[in-house]
Amino acid sequence: MAAESPTAERKVVVHLRATGDAPILKQAKFKISGSDKFSKVIEFLRRQLHRDTLFVYINSAFSPNPDELVIDLYNNFGFDGKLVVNYASSMAWG
Amino acid sequence: MQSETSARQWDGTLSPNDFNSSVAALCERWKEVNDSLPQWLWVPFPVVGDSSCNAAGYLTMENVYHQNASEEVSHEESILGDEELSDDATLVQSCGKDDMHVYDYHIVYSFNFRVPVLYFRGYRLDGCPLKLEDIEKDLPAYSLKGLRESKWTFMTQEDHPYLRRPWYTLHPCGTSDWMKVLFGSNAANNQPRPLHYLSAWLSVVGQAVGLRIPLGLYKSQ
Repeated sequence: MAAESPTAERKVVVHLRATGDAPILKQAKFKISGSDKFSKVIEFLRRQLHRDTLFVYINSAFSPNPDELVIDLYNNFGFDGKLVVNYASSMAWG
Repeated sequence: MQSETSARQWDGTLSPNDFNSSVAALCERWKEVNDSLPQWLWVPFPVVGDSSCNAAGYLTMENVYHQNASEEVSHEESILGDEELSDDATLVQSCGKDDMHVYDYHIVYSFNFRVPVLYFRGYRLDGCPLKLEDIEKDLPAYSLKGLRESKWTFMTQEDHPYLRRPWYTLHPCGTSDWMKVLFGSNAANNQPRPLHYLSAWLSVVGQAVGLRIPLGLYKSQ
């Protein structure tokens, strides 16, 4: 079921990884629908960390636009069945 | 000596030469992956008597049309149940010649901060420049929120360093810090950094000004 075509209906495992002095989440992995926008991941992080501004990035390469679809990010940058998303609190560089 | 220090503790900045390499890398990759935006073009501004300074100039992408009917707006309106406003046909019509906004983006190397700086301007089809309040209306909600809350993406109007006319710019004082964070776990491997610097940087400033960068730019080749 899951390993079929990379369609938007598919659920994606997102692994949230803290960098710098950002607080570590109790639950660092969660599932999200591929058709959701990346902004949903950012919102989730904000709520969990009680922070308004966060710096979120992938692969040490770029910071995804909140309008990107999770499935597109997964298809391009997913690895080992999950999408690793790094986050740093803005405190680290404010 | 420079490479030694950068291998140990990189400070998030870019040398003028690395800026040049990064410009070339971005232009080349952009051509391969972009299918909706104009191309980036390097406009050199050679300094008389100083041939070493080939980072003088700017990278330009002009005539980027902004559709006023942004996804965010229509989405929020549909949540509010205001069907008339989120009607596609109405939006297309209201997006006539008068409402069409055009943006020019320039990337300039800051010799002071040793990082790229984004300059941009917006205007209507008749050439009339947009004020900051017009531009803010074009920005996605998350960008406005970020601009108001964050110190590092502070938008101001300043003289374009080469054109000597007022353009909007994002203040570069925090750039090296967040670039250091972004490249953090890659710091030991300093090989790809200069080449990927500009595209990585663009992913962050692009969000601030509502410029969607093609994902393909970040796929490993």
